[in-house]
Amino acid sequence: MKALCYQGKEKLRVETVDDPKILNPRDAIVRITRSAICGSDLHIYDGYIPTMEPGDILGHEFMGEVVEVGSKVENLKAGDRVVVPFTIACGNCFYCKQQLWSLCDNSNPNAWIAEKMYGYSPSGLFGYSHMLGGYAGGQAQYARVPFADVGPLKIPEGLSDDQVLFLSDIFPTGYMAAENCEIKPGDVIAIWGCGPVGQFAIRSAYLLGAEKVIAIDRFPERLNLARQGNADVINYEEVDDVIEELKWMTGGRGPDACIDAVGLEAHSNTIPGWYDTAKQSMRLSFDRPLVLRQAIQACRKGGVVSIPGVYGGFLDKIPFGAAMNKALSFRTGQTHMMRYMQPLLQRIENGEIDPSFVITHRIRMEDIPNAYKMFRDKQAHCIKVVIDPWAEQAAA
Amino acid sequence: MTITTDLGTDLSRGDANKKPNNTKTAAAAVVTGGGLAAFGLSRRSWAGLGLAAGGAYLAYHGITRIGPYIGKVRVSYTIHRSPEELYNLVRNPQTWSEFAQGIETNRKEDGELALVLGQGLGFKLTSGIRITDEQPGSYIAWSSVPGALEHRGVVHFKPAPGDRGTELSVALEYKIPAGTFTQALGMLYGQGPEPLVRENLRRLKQFAEAGEIPTTTGQPTGTRGVRGSALRILYRETKAQPPQQQARMAGD
Repeated sequence: MKALCYQGKEKLRVETVDDPKILNPRDAIVRITRSAICGSDLHIYDGYIPTMEPGDILGHEFMGEVVEVGSKVENLKAGDRVVVPFTIACGNCFYCKQQLWSLCDNSNPNAWIAEKMYGYSPSGLFGYSHMLGGYAGGQAQYARVPFADVGPLKIPEGLSDDQVLFLSDIFPTGYMAAENCEIKPGDVIAIWGCGPVGQFAIRSAYLLGAEKVIAIDRFPERLNLARQGNADVINYEEVDDVIEELKWMTGGRGPDACIDAVGLEAHSNTIPGWYDTAKQSMRLSFDRPLVLRQAIQACRKGGVVSIPGVYGGFLDKIPFGAAMNKALSFRTGQTHMMRYMQPLLQRIENGEIDPSFVITHRIRMEDIPNAYKMFRDKQAHCIKVVIDPWAEQAAA
Repeated sequence: MTITTDLGTDLSRGDANKKPNNTKTAAAAVVTGGGLAAFGLSRRSWAGLGLAAGGAYLAYHGITRIGPYIGKVRVSYTIHRSPEELYNLVRNPQTWSEFAQGIETNRKEDGELALVLGQGLGFKLTSGIRITDEQPGSYIAWSSVPGALEHRGVVHFKPAPGDRGTELSVALEYKIPAGTFTQALGMLYGQGPEPLVRENLRRLKQFAEAGEIPTTTGQPTGTRGVRGSALRILYRETKAQPPQQQARMAGD
């Protein structure tokens, strides 16, 4: 089969590799019909995620048709159409039983590596470094799905692939980010980052009863899409001070909760931004936490800072005095996927939201390496790229 | 009930009559002596031979002064099964083929369990153990048989708080003769005692809770190249799978 393989920083290659096979009794093999590139894949592309190996197959947002199941999988059969969550969970450990699916004890074969860095290991993920399992990912034509009796969600007839693909990651991620804000009537939510996760966080915040969402970015097409989701917007390149702007827009109170939907590659043309970028390029630090700093400063007293944005290692110069003295709560984590997929599928079926609104580009396997560059550099008004792994001709 | 990690001082008592050992100076003597000997031989002269002899004696003096190394390992995992279920899993060496990696077990007729802890380069690191005390559902204590790699340990099965299952704790103490050199040698063949115990307990937890060991061995991959292959070794992804896993993969 064809698969998108990592070969080094900014080096991706579509290669012909073996088809996956059943390795454990709870596995299933899925023929992938739709896949996508995630913003967090860009951290791999830019070389910021440790423990990658040349030859790794990337991709963690995918769906398709079950073609084979292991001997212990009873809820799926060949022919079922499923969306596969990006986290892998066994279903039986303490964390799975608490619905903390992205913290599964038993799905990371390389748990010892994560333990060295983090103390304890989170669950394995598809296509996201060997510290998190080294699993082959879904920017390919087939995938092997471990613990298939727990993860994959069956999709009923009547919904297109484009409508449900984002149940694999970004819709539940944006939704959990909004849910973590503990939204009460009257709340104003500020969201940094109008990429796909931010866009879903905007709509999820309104679904959860927010009074107003303020979205912050600098790219006009992303700000426009945010406006279409009923958000007020701030273009941070056009205001003097984002924090003062937020204070003005919230009657001097500050937003009740702040969502960092940007993560470790935050951009800024300010002195702190250059400092972060310099340190990161010299590998003196892993992450650029500009947005996190702003979110902490901007948040009202007693508010929540909700962090779906991916961070990998150590941060520098975090205003923790502000956080402590304003009594902020931090809610974070990789998405607890299996908690959200069914309820959000319900909302899609009810017509409350059509997630395909974020798609701006459709490509074939061969186009993926260039698409990563386009997505990272925000060229061609790119917001979300989806892949048809079986397309031969360039799609519309 | 407290977990007993103090396994007594039997392992070190036998050396009470030996000269006090100081591993650092002994190691220094070996290195210096070895270096002098090599230098002396390279001179190819009578003076050089004399120097080599002196160096060799220094090295020998160092080696005999390096005392045994006594190490301790403590690993604990909470597993979502009852103490009785886990006791039965652990007590039965048959189930070890489902999850054990880097340890082969062979039950002998007299109740002794022979262990292979690592092999390579035509050399095997082995031990043999005998159960010395046990209480079903509560603990198992064992010690090595005479002549084998000396160690002893105890595994406790303690009910975990709430409905978390069982706190399974392993404490063991081992003695390696001629201290650090043999220990380093042992680590060439295995992973060292602590990772060996920890990873096998982790796999026991995975087997007990999830019914299988998570794996990526056998999955599709692109071109690894030299760097990728080296990283696979560094991330310990080239180790042999537990026997049952190998059988499953071979069977298909």
